[in-house]
Amino acid sequence: MSLEEPGPRDVGLTKAGEVNYDELEALLGDAVLDRETHLNAEAFVIRPDAVQDTLSTLKEEAGFDFLNCVTAQEYQDRYETIYHMTKYDDRTQEVGVVVPTSKDDPVSESAEPVFRTADWHEREAYDLVGIEYEGHPDPRRILLPDTWQGHPLSLDYDQTKPQIVTLRENRNPLQEDQRLNDDSDTMLLNIGPHHPATHGVLHVEATLDGEQVADVEPDIGYIHRCEEQMCQQGTYRHQIMPYPDRWDWGGAGLLNEWAYARTAETLADIDVPEYAQVIRTMSAELSRILSHMLAVAAYALDVVGDFTATFMYGMQDRETVQNILEDLTGQRLMFNYFRLGGVAWDLPEPREEFFEKIRAFIDDLPEKLEEYHNLLTSNEILQVRTVNTGRLEPEVAKSYGATGPVARGSGIDYDVRRDDPYGYYDKLDWDVVTEDGCDNYARLLVRLQEVEESAKIINQCVDLLEDWPEEDRTIQANVPRTIKPEPDTEVYKSVEAAKGELGIYIRSDGTDKPARFKIRGGSFSNLQTLPEMAEGEYIADLIASLGSLDTIMGEVDR
Amino acid sequence: MIGLLKSMATTMKHALDGQTFTVEYPEEAPEVSPRFRGVHKFSQERCIWCRQCENVCPNDTIQIVTDEQRNGEEYNLHIGQCIYCRLCEEVCPVDAILLTQNFEFTADTKDELAYNKEQLKNVPWYKDIDPLESREPDRGAWIGEGEGELDYQ
Amino acid sequence: MTLSDTIAGLLGLNADDPLHFFVAAILASAIVGTFMLVNVAIAGPWAKRKITAAFTDRIAVNRIGPFGLMVIVADAVRLLSKELIVPEKVDRPAWDLAPLLIAGSALLGFAVIPMGNGIQVADPEVGLAYVFAVASLASVGLVMAGYASNNKYSMLGGLRAVAQNLAYEIPLVLTGVSVVLFAGTLQLGNVDAANTIVGAQQATLATIGGIAIPSWYAFVNPFAFVLFLVANLAEVGRNPFDTPEAPTEIVAGYQTEYSSVYFVLMYLGEFIHIFLGGAIVATIFLGGPAGPVLPGIVWFLIKIWAVFLFTQWARSALPRVRIDQLIEIGWKGMLVLSFANLILTAIIVGVVV
Repeated sequence: MSLEEPGPRDVGLTKAGEVNYDELEALLGDAVLDRETHLNAEAFVIRPDAVQDTLSTLKEEAGFDFLNCVTAQEYQDRYETIYHMTKYDDRTQEVGVVVPTSKDDPVSESAEPVFRTADWHEREAYDLVGIEYEGHPDPRRILLPDTWQGHPLSLDYDQTKPQIVTLRENRNPLQEDQRLNDDSDTMLLNIGPHHPATHGVLHVEATLDGEQVADVEPDIGYIHRCEEQMCQQGTYRHQIMPYPDRWDWGGAGLLNEWAYARTAETLADIDVPEYAQVIRTMSAELSRILSHMLAVAAYALDVVGDFTATFMYGMQDRETVQNILEDLTGQRLMFNYFRLGGVAWDLPEPREEFFEKIRAFIDDLPEKLEEYHNLLTSNEILQVRTVNTGRLEPEVAKSYGATGPVARGSGIDYDVRRDDPYGYYDKLDWDVVTEDGCDNYARLLVRLQEVEESAKIINQCVDLLEDWPEEDRTIQANVPRTIKPEPDTEVYKSVEAAKGELGIYIRSDGTDKPARFKIRGGSFSNLQTLPEMAEGEYIADLIASLGSLDTIMGEVDR
Repeated sequence: MIGLLKSMATTMKHALDGQTFTVEYPEEAPEVSPRFRGVHKFSQERCIWCRQCENVCPNDTIQIVTDEQRNGEEYNLHIGQCIYCRLCEEVCPVDAILLTQNFEFTADTKDELAYNKEQLKNVPWYKDIDPLESREPDRGAWIGEGEGELDYQ
Repeated sequence: MTLSDTIAGLLGLNADDPLHFFVAAILASAIVGTFMLVNVAIAGPWAKRKITAAFTDRIAVNRIGPFGLMVIVADAVRLLSKELIVPEKVDRPAWDLAPLLIAGSALLGFAVIPMGNGIQVADPEVGLAYVFAVASLASVGLVMAGYASNNKYSMLGGLRAVAQNLAYEIPLVLTGVSVVLFAGTLQLGNVDAANTIVGAQQATLATIGGIAIPSWYAFVNPFAFVLFLVANLAEVGRNPFDTPEAPTEIVAGYQTEYSSVYFVLMYLGEFIHIFLGGAIVATIFLGGPAGPVLPGIVWFLIKIWAVFLFTQWARSALPRVRIDQLIEIGWKGMLVLSFANLILTAIIVGVVV
């Protein structure tokens, strides 16, 4: 009588709470053609026409409610799309879904009806690799211009082919706008790519009904430089590490470096000395403070106005952190401090002076944060501007694969640092900040509180480093000069970067360079939620919502 | 209303305390950390033309030309293209290429930013700091086991 | 005794002859206009930068001349020598007239403002009504600029500007009317002219510790003063009411397409407008150019610069309200309060006086 139906969380799990891949395979039935082992999880190879069934079964019945990333790649004999799935409740439970398609007819079913986030990911896959997705609502290019010839990451792509197109071939946005005006009262407003509030070169096509936003479409790709390909041309050991810095010029470079370091270290099976892990944790959190301070300061620009003093106060506080990081890493923004197996340098001498600098910053921080609260969060006008605007419900956020402060501002208790621990995080005492407001105000609060949590982490790291025995200060593991992982090893790993979860997929081919290097930028998925937040609200709220997402175009366009 | 007044009080406090955060550059030269990575300095006396820096450079900033006996002829570095990752300094076994603290360089055209070995030699130290001591290069971490042999010609 | 009369007297002209008086009046206007433009020149390229820098802990302009003051000349040359870009399909006469109208209308207002030491071009009996009338002409200029620019951001800015000015002009004028109720006249007058708005404020309200507090309307009716100050912020479009410009939303609103000398005129107009707002506040609430020890003109300058400083202070700290919230504050808040203030004043004046 008391027998209960097994809940969705129980299916596909062993008694110990691990993923039971055999049970999952049985659950998916005859859609499964084969099974692969990736370093991070098992993956099922399925029929191209069973994508929606498979993904929705995994989502509804096995609880894999987070489509983390979609990787597309071309082999000599086939195309392949990999859906990296995991759970918001337990990041360690992962499963890959591999969809092979033939060379001459690379069409597979779109996952968009199951996960909204697949929309942009599949467009990117089509754009760069050339796989088509049946049933996709908007199968256009996303990063490259509509007139682009060929797919840059496909094997037969001609790098030397000129891509110059005449002006006439290019779509004229103004023309379309006038056509729109003929039969409706709406007006198309191009916000960006050069606009004070787009935080980089983002173009938002907003259809306005008076002052209200009827439709929004972010148009990205203006600074696309195919970072994935650049990484594929660099050696694992050194040449890739400088590039993650450049996906985030807001100061979060070290966090991004860690994403690559974590993936490559898993791939090459490198253990990082504990001492280096503590230094990594400390410097990464300093980096997070840099990024969050910029987000808050720039948010003041968006909402308060262009002469706000808050922005400059934020810049000042960042300056202190930048000086600390400059002492440690040698650069103020493009750090290139992490190495595979550790970090480049030990702490600068004299160590006491360096610790003193960090302590002074941490001690001053509560007072500084109080100022931000005075200027922003406790200000009544800012409250009426941000509370209950740009609402992002948790279910919607999950469907779009939102992570980072955006997800936590919607009350989703998800943080890779805690849920899939790396570095030294699991041995330190800190909390994941969540706010249930789901609005712009909640996201602002989350960022300000995360700065406090970061300070807590840094403080504990400094304690540890001060007492670290001198003979045990190994900053780098013994790593071969040339790393050549086994051919066809695949790995997908991610870290909690400043903007959200930054994941990297690498497939090796036996050489010292990756065969496929795929980046999942947290902002890429977060930015996708903009229409959900802004539609039906005022232009001013659209700008405020965009600012609260804290997107960085380096990570979106890559 | 209290919040508004608190905001205004905060900015007024900053206005009245008389402190400024910005400095009058260039009269006042900013402090630069000993580890800071700026423009390169090259020492032909030390260089053994092993070409490791050229190989490790992620974006082909360094160009080395040698004759048939592998004697060095040219060492060109495009500091306008450089991403200041310091990998060249890190791989150099003889400290022949160093990144100084110097961050001040200008040019009218892109070509002028491509330095040859004479120009690289004449890059001044910033405040006479030789960065080598502060960086404590850890060579041990470099000459690890593995198939990549060290190649000093 | 207005400035025009004084000049006529000095030049030996007959003030009763219309032609002579016209010449004297033109000279007087030139003096007052130049004086205000000098103020704006100091405020725009120099003082505003210095004030903003003080709020944000920076140094700001300090290279050219003492305290960087010569940057005013440098900036003037720089701005005027820039190319005047005329976008395609702008509505030509309107587009060209708008900056002139915006700058000119605010300047007109100073004709009746008593600046102390006998500096006042004219003192008509409807002085206050005249000031409000010419000051609101700027709204027409904003709409012209927004509409004629053939730019969507400008259009939005122009619409916002006119909506905002409508919503705040009425509370502004109504609050001004409460002062008129006290004074019983519209004439701005001067310190020594009783039965005028300024003159009426010179009487002693109370004496505290031997110091005579004058009956400035800011002391008599502080509620109206605060109301007027807020409505004035909205009227000149400064934070938290800079919604029509809102650079981070609609770039710069109605002034997006203006460059070079038109840009200068736009900015000039804004700053003159802020000073005119300050002058009105000073005249009807702060006793005009009156004050102890220092000459009247100095007190007048102190008062208008204080209001200017206040607008800059507000812009350093206060967030911008959204357009619908702005309209709501205007029509549902300020209007009701200003009516309440008016009725209250009427009762006080009727019962007490």
